[in-house]
Amino acid sequence: MMPLVFADKGAAVKIKRINGAPDIRRHLGNLGFVEDGDVTVVSENNGNLIVNVKETRVAISREMATRIVVE
Amino acid sequence: MRIRMALAGNPNSGKTTLFNALTGSNQFVGNWPGVTVEKKTGKIKSSIKKGKDVEAELTDLPGIYSLSPYTLEEVVARNFILDEKPDVIINIIDGSNLERNLYLTTQLTELGLPVVVAVNMMDVVRKNGDTLDTAKLSEELGCRCIEISALKGDGIEDVVEAAIEEGSAGNPAVPKHEFSGSVEHTIAHIEEAVLHDFPEASQRFYAVKLFEKDEDIRKKLNVDEATWNHISGDIAACEKEMDDDAESIITNERYIFVAGVAGACLTKKGKGQLTTTDKIDRVVTNRWLALPIFAVIMFLVYYISVTTIGTIVTDWTNDVLFGDIIPPAVDGWLTDIGCVEWLHSLIVDGIIAGVGAVLGFVPQMLVLFLMLAFLESCGYMARVAFIMDRIFRRFGLSGKSFIPMLIGSGCGVPGVMASRTIESERDRRMTVMTTTFVPCGAKLPIIALIAGALFHGAWWVAPSCYFVGVAAIVISGIILKKTKMFSGDPAPFVMELPAYHLPTLGNVLRSMWERGWSFIKKAGTIILLSTIFIWFVSNYGFVDGHFGRVEDLSDGLLASIGSAIAWIFIPLGFGTWKAAVAAITGLVAKENVVGTFGILYGFAEVAEDGQEIWTNVAADFATSGAYAFLVFNLLCAPCFAAIGAIKREMNSAKWTWFAIGYQTIFAYCISLIVYQLWELFAFGNFGVGTVVAFILLAVFIYLLFRKPKYDNSRLTIAPEV
Repeated sequence: MMPLVFADKGAAVKIKRINGAPDIRRHLGNLGFVEDGDVTVVSENNGNLIVNVKETRVAISREMATRIVVE
Repeated sequence: MRIRMALAGNPNSGKTTLFNALTGSNQFVGNWPGVTVEKKTGKIKSSIKKGKDVEAELTDLPGIYSLSPYTLEEVVARNFILDEKPDVIINIIDGSNLERNLYLTTQLTELGLPVVVAVNMMDVVRKNGDTLDTAKLSEELGCRCIEISALKGDGIEDVVEAAIEEGSAGNPAVPKHEFSGSVEHTIAHIEEAVLHDFPEASQRFYAVKLFEKDEDIRKKLNVDEATWNHISGDIAACEKEMDDDAESIITNERYIFVAGVAGACLTKKGKGQLTTTDKIDRVVTNRWLALPIFAVIMFLVYYISVTTIGTIVTDWTNDVLFGDIIPPAVDGWLTDIGCVEWLHSLIVDGIIAGVGAVLGFVPQMLVLFLMLAFLESCGYMARVAFIMDRIFRRFGLSGKSFIPMLIGSGCGVPGVMASRTIESERDRRMTVMTTTFVPCGAKLPIIALIAGALFHGAWWVAPSCYFVGVAAIVISGIILKKTKMFSGDPAPFVMELPAYHLPTLGNVLRSMWERGWSFIKKAGTIILLSTIFIWFVSNYGFVDGHFGRVEDLSDGLLASIGSAIAWIFIPLGFGTWKAAVAAITGLVAKENVVGTFGILYGFAEVAEDGQEIWTNVAADFATSGAYAFLVFNLLCAPCFAAIGAIKREMNSAKWTWFAIGYQTIFAYCISLIVYQLWELFAFGNFGVGTVVAFILLAVFIYLLFRKPKYDNSRLTIAPEV
């Protein structure tokens, strides 16, 4: 278990938990970040990530990426 | 019979393209989420109604990911659907990205309204070698699904036909998805306790929202305290049983259902290989290359539009068309027909000089608009927001603030409006206040004029103006962030990145023409009126106690007014009445600055003694004062149209005044510092002004580096509506 920021580029990982305030979790959920869902890091820029989730590319800041716990 | 249709879907799923195709309107289609920030309504073209005799009205809603409002656009879309209850919802979904798009569909089908699903981008799906079973999809979702390609116009008549049928029959969609047992049990309970008066079809949506503890919906339904406590107990029990909070339960279960539907209906050919978009993203968002690539692109955009192509054409219009051709021709013609002297002067010295000075810059602007439209529609814009986020974060803004600023370099009005995609109110207000610091298209003529007249067209003047604009944003960001009203971290950044695509020529040209045309229209209306006014007040005045035409413009009314306020600008190095007047008329529209110069430094003299406006301007300014004049006009309060946009977005008179006041005072201080230090270092002039400049500089440095007093660790994102 680790935050998404530490995940390897290119490999799919499974989301185990999403931390943070309810509105943050809600927004992440609406964008496709749900527990047990797969997510792949495509690119990284100073801690900000571009990830592939539910077949789309989503850019998230480091603050958000640390709240997503993956395995 | 009249049918009201609403077009709903994820951001960037092609809503606006479909809207244009169905209504024949010309909304600009950009390739970044949030292009449509306001709903727009149009009538369906009769040519695609297959001869059906109904009046159909279509409303294009901003893109949304779900019906739980997170950004202002989502609020706009959701309120429209709930309050206006359209006869039918056309839900456009991106077929190449089924799962995420169907998530919204599961919510729309719960509303108890007829829904028609238009599966867009089927051409992309087929090109990837994938196949979609639309009949099965209709069955699984409980509403009619139709394959389309909005871009190519395939299948759009079928969508309209289906929507008219469903809408006139009033068949609500029948949601096929069920949540797990205990959730369904609680929802049934809520329906019974709160919603038994509602039509059966729309009960489910409200029940699910209440289950999710949606505050807005609770207020809308006026659920009283006792009932609320009663159902809260049920929800809590369900949460305990499922070991998760209510919202996450619903979100998760929706996604599980959607994944099942997508798996059953979509057959994928290849999986796992990198798409072209991924490959491009590897390069342009690369840790080391991202910023240099961005800098080169922006440099090229402004270099090409201001310095090369644009200037060649603009020089021709200014020097030849509005210099050698039109004025002498009109002059001669007016003399031939024996026109009265004052009308002659009004037309040649007033209108042609003023409006001509502005129109001369149309080519430059068209080139700039063309390139901005290309950037907006290819998909790079969203990446820029991503790249800039880490940097902007240091100045207290999020990367999303960058899009309004980039758009603002075309025109401040859509720039300010684009700030609506920013979730946090604090970030949005700060973006609205600082967006107009970026030189907009209308400020381009001022830059070109000063650069040409005083700096012999030096290459660095135009880029330096953009640098001044960006620096103003950075400085303001840091200073404002340390005040109480703006304290707090910028909202965390989450944004969908669309796939890259080559923009269609028509779309880019349309956007260029629309923005360019509104500029030309402005020249024909507001600028024309202003120039007539300026001509009148500059050519008439009191001489020897009589009101009448004056020989010398410096005896005119405008000169008296200008002289009365010119002292304000003496510390800034441009305390002449002409410059003061130009800065004030710039409030009406920034092009007026150049238009006013055109009249006051006179094209008329071109005909008389061969002097050019540039020479006249150069004679009246020192380089230092001219640059300070430029800085002041770039940063001070924007034109009335942009102030109007600020007022709309701020939605408060107090904040609007604060924004304009801040901009103007900031512009004055920076301009003063620039002038005084320039004088000191270039010419060794030292005076009271220099001391003031150093004091102001010290104040700025203090404001920039003082310790923040307020807590900056709060993390909030919900819009405060």
